[in-house]
Amino acid sequence: MMTTQTIRNVRLMAVVLAVSCGAAMQASAAPPRFANGTVRLDRMPGEKGYWDGPGAVSLVESGKQVVFLPGGKLKNIADAAQVAPFQPWALALYKFRQQNNFVDDPMKVCMGPGNPRQMMIPGGVRFIQDNNYKRMYMIFGGGNRTWRTIYMDGRDPPVAEEVSATFLGLAVGKWEGDTLVATSTGFNTRFWMSNGGLPHTEALTLTERFKRVSKEVLEYEVTVDDPRTYTRPWKAAWTLRWVAGDMEEQFCETGRE
Amino acid sequence: MRNTLFAGLLLFACATANAQEGFPLDGTWRGETTASDGSHRTIVLILQWDGKVIGGTMNPGPNGTDFTTGKLNPDGWKFTFDLKTKKNEAVRFDGALGDLGKYNRFLSGKWTENGRSFDIRFVRE
Repeated sequence: MMTTQTIRNVRLMAVVLAVSCGAAMQASAAPPRFANGTVRLDRMPGEKGYWDGPGAVSLVESGKQVVFLPGGKLKNIADAAQVAPFQPWALALYKFRQQNNFVDDPMKVCMGPGNPRQMMIPGGVRFIQDNNYKRMYMIFGGGNRTWRTIYMDGRDPPVAEEVSATFLGLAVGKWEGDTLVATSTGFNTRFWMSNGGLPHTEALTLTERFKRVSKEVLEYEVTVDDPRTYTRPWKAAWTLRWVAGDMEEQFCETGRE
Repeated sequence: MRNTLFAGLLLFACATANAQEGFPLDGTWRGETTASDGSHRTIVLILQWDGKVIGGTMNPGPNGTDFTTGKLNPDGWKFTFDLKTKKNEAVRFDGALGDLGKYNRFLSGKWTENGRSFDIRFVRE
């Protein structure tokens, strides 16, 4: 004879199973495509949705076992050297920012998060694929509610010394199968690359790979190449989830939490 | 008048709230000193990290002197460089970074030129 507790447990298991199966079915749903077969990174006509819920707390080299507290603070400062292959000055600066409780974080005075930190900021991101003009626009709901352009027309990446440096860099992109690969240069140094305080210089080149593996999941991988700051190129990766609805309006205001 | 003063103070606060940038020594630094005879002197340094060496220019202009001998020890953020001016005078600076997290951080230390030394403080512009 089943006790009340047993019945509760069975019901709970059934709910968990249903939710899990539902999520699995959604996650395995194929990504939508344009008529020419290109993956749609954005919503279908008549649909509402955007990408959010970055699956990482802070930027760290893939494969490293480092624990961050919410906000990007290391649980153990002794792990700092594991976060990325720092040059000595960069490690010292990263530790300083960590131990200084991020008081000099440019985002505290509403400066832009820059890239790739923008991809970790809650608030949402959309991809507007302009196939006529061969451009991709990324619209960000978080940070400074800004946008960036990825040129898909086959042009070469800009020479960093010849362009006005920006927070999000200047990007060119191409499709490698179903993966959008964007290479960006021309960054200024007025932002931190992560909430944890990762530094960079004007020599920074980012190579980002966006892959919509299902209707609900976007895989994001970034390769950081800045030989003035890091001893070798390194990668980090996380996912974003599809959220039904519209991005909410929000603006950065200094002096308010 | 009060509004103007308030706006000015706000602008100043915003300007000084600028955050830390990339390599901590990159940028233009200005130092002022007054000699024992009362003469005033301004020294300008432009510093640039290229990933291997810290180079720069002392007093950019017709008599500017380039150097590539900068050394930074992140343990304590101590900085030093040596150069020879166009008059073949040896110059050495031994200093340390202060206010590391600020845009207008400073370098303070001992400047030795032509055998004479004095303390000086450079502020990043």
